[in-house]
Amino acid sequence: MDLQTSQQEKQPLPQAADTPDDKITVDYLPASQPFHHSYEGSATLSTVRTDAMAFFHVSDHKDRDTHQFFLEFQGRRLTNMAETLEQLLGPHRRGAKFNLVEQITPGATTA
Amino acid sequence: MSEPYPHIDRWILPRAALSATLTGVQKEGQSVREAGALWLGPRNNAAGITSVVFPTANGVKATAGQWKVSPELFGVVTRWAKPQGLSLLGVVHTHLHGVPPRLSRADRQYSVQVPDILAVVIGEAGHELDYRNWGWYLYEKNAYRQLPTQELTKRFEITSQNVDLRCADADTIRELDPE
Repeated sequence: MDLQTSQQEKQPLPQAADTPDDKITVDYLPASQPFHHSYEGSATLSTVRTDAMAFFHVSDHKDRDTHQFFLEFQGRRLTNMAETLEQLLGPHRRGAKFNLVEQITPGATTA
Repeated sequence: MSEPYPHIDRWILPRAALSATLTGVQKEGQSVREAGALWLGPRNNAAGITSVVFPTANGVKATAGQWKVSPELFGVVTRWAKPQGLSLLGVVHTHLHGVPPRLSRADRQYSVQVPDILAVVIGEAGHELDYRNWGWYLYEKNAYRQLPTQELTKRFEITSQNVDLRCADADTIRELDPE
């Protein structure tokens, strides 16, 4: 008897409402753990960025310079934070990996 | 939710990382501009530096008074490092001759600010050979503080392990040819 098949047969098939959300991973170079979360396709990149920044305890801020964090996807900086995951990834993709990177814009000449 | 920055109690620092860092920054800076390196390794209670990455070309902005790594380079390094379980443990940069190896206000603001990350300043344009004379800073409680020599001795173990040497720009990262 195939135990695995038997166990799978006992599992209810996922219904439309149970379709897995997009599983998102965000890496940040200094951190030891990535941020993981499942989102519906309608979630915006702004939401993902905000949640990831909260997880990594970082925030946009201004001292002498301006510090901003952005999401990077496949080597590309994402700038349209209103874009949804479905718009970015397409209707069939069920997960993606992003990087969180800090952009520091100098506010004055450094010494 | 897991903790992204587990406390680092001590660092395992191969002598090879120290000497490679010196060689790399001397070569890159040529005594006329600042240069630097990224120290990476698995972030554990005892964190070992296993890789040294030298930012180059379009991935870094270096002048006589500043050294800044581009976000694109950090992205390149992140994509390479994370699948291997490596984290950024320290950022090293030089100050030119006559400039003390202290973390300036601009350095502090520009550096990565997460708990227990190191910022190291090598004086004499990277020609200060004794690492105990470098400026060692640790980010904790929302600020960088200088590590006194006594604490350096206590919390850093200098070993004879090998390290992986890389150079990176805004587009790619590659193994550094041994010379």
